[in-house]
Amino acid sequence: MDRRVELLLEFYAGLPRDRAKVETRRHGFDYLERMLSDGVTLEYGELTLDGLLHKYKLANVPEHRMTELLRGHVEKECNVCLYFDDRANSLFCFNLDNNFKVNNTVIIPELELAVELLRNLLSGLGCGPLVVASGRGFHLWCRLDGPVDNDRLYNFMLRCAAKTAAALCKAGHDHNKVKINLYPDRRIRDVVSLRLFGTDHAKNRVFSRILSEGGLLDETASWLRFEQHMRGNTVAAGHFGEAYETMMAAF
Amino acid sequence: MPQRTIAVDLDDTLNNFTETLHTGDFGFDAAYGLPEQAFAGYMERLRNGSMDVDDLLSTEYSFFRYKIHLRCYGLARARADGVDFMRWLEAAGWRIVICTHRDLRRANACTRRWLTDNGIPFDHLFMAWNKIVFCRAWGIRHLVDDDAFNIAHGEPYGVNVYYPIMERRRPLEANRARGFSSFEEVKQWIAG
Repeated sequence: MDRRVELLLEFYAGLPRDRAKVETRRHGFDYLERMLSDGVTLEYGELTLDGLLHKYKLANVPEHRMTELLRGHVEKECNVCLYFDDRANSLFCFNLDNNFKVNNTVIIPELELAVELLRNLLSGLGCGPLVVASGRGFHLWCRLDGPVDNDRLYNFMLRCAAKTAAALCKAGHDHNKVKINLYPDRRIRDVVSLRLFGTDHAKNRVFSRILSEGGLLDETASWLRFEQHMRGNTVAAGHFGEAYETMMAAF
Repeated sequence: MPQRTIAVDLDDTLNNFTETLHTGDFGFDAAYGLPEQAFAGYMERLRNGSMDVDDLLSTEYSFFRYKIHLRCYGLARARADGVDFMRWLEAAGWRIVICTHRDLRRANACTRRWLTDNGIPFDHLFMAWNKIVFCRAWGIRHLVDDDAFNIAHGEPYGVNVYYPIMERRRPLEANRARGFSSFEEVKQWIAG
């Protein structure tokens, strides 16, 4: 198996692998029929505004088909986005986007500062995130060594996001220019998915580069950092409990 | 012989979405998380169909609009002749693609529930911002849809568009689409 696929399977091990959203320019009923073999079902499809980029929300995906999809993901034939577990997860993610309607792939100062503030906050709590360029902004992934109840994760993330927005305002910025989505979010379970690290963005074809403290890494360095982060920055569930209590006490 | 395929829109084609939006009982509810005055202002803006001039994508208003639309999707009535038409399509062996502007990320479950509750058969559910591009890319020659853009631009791209005739429609651009009062007419056109 491709080493990169192995890394993805390990990093995202806590997320359900029986469903996915697949982004690709491939389309047509013959393609759809092949995609829907082995019991895979289509919940819905989408033709986006970006040329012929299609998105397919798939369910009942068997393990071997998910591995195939991930191979396509690292070979940049498609993008795989995964959903979160309905009850508990060992990953959580802040999705920070440029909230403008136009030119929203530009990294605006508010977004840059928000990422820095949130990264510092999480690192200070012992939950240093992996920061990945997402196309319209950044994903800040935190990985735990065991599943934590979604309500607990959400309460923690909500407070971190609020603190970040407040710090943005204090620095004289409009926090509305940055959209912060939290994953998992019990209000929108099974509705929103996140693109995995390791492929090009479907619209701007830019690799999901990792943002280190020194700046954006190239593709090879990003894969290295991805593995290093998994080995060295996975947070013990007990330690997360301490971070959680700290944030709860702060509000 | 390849299977014949048709794309069919939902809102204001198979249902009475706009009528529901205008006449539905959407009284103030604190659960929307808005002051009563803001609620009333947003509701009026939504019913007037005012353009969204905000520079930002996600706003308080855009979230409000989504929540009201979601309620309309559930409350809207299916057209009886539309339901018959869809059943006829299924019986005649057509492949049916429901093609909508709805944000199916959030509306997938309620849309499927509404289709099932109304006994409307379909094969696939797709959202497409440009349905003419979608139909052309997927080789679909027939589209039933009320949108003025699709009515005007289907024919040059090889897509036969059939649209429900509505009293309150703005004037249409010159087009070769066919307007219908009853889905029975569409049956006759596509069966030929």
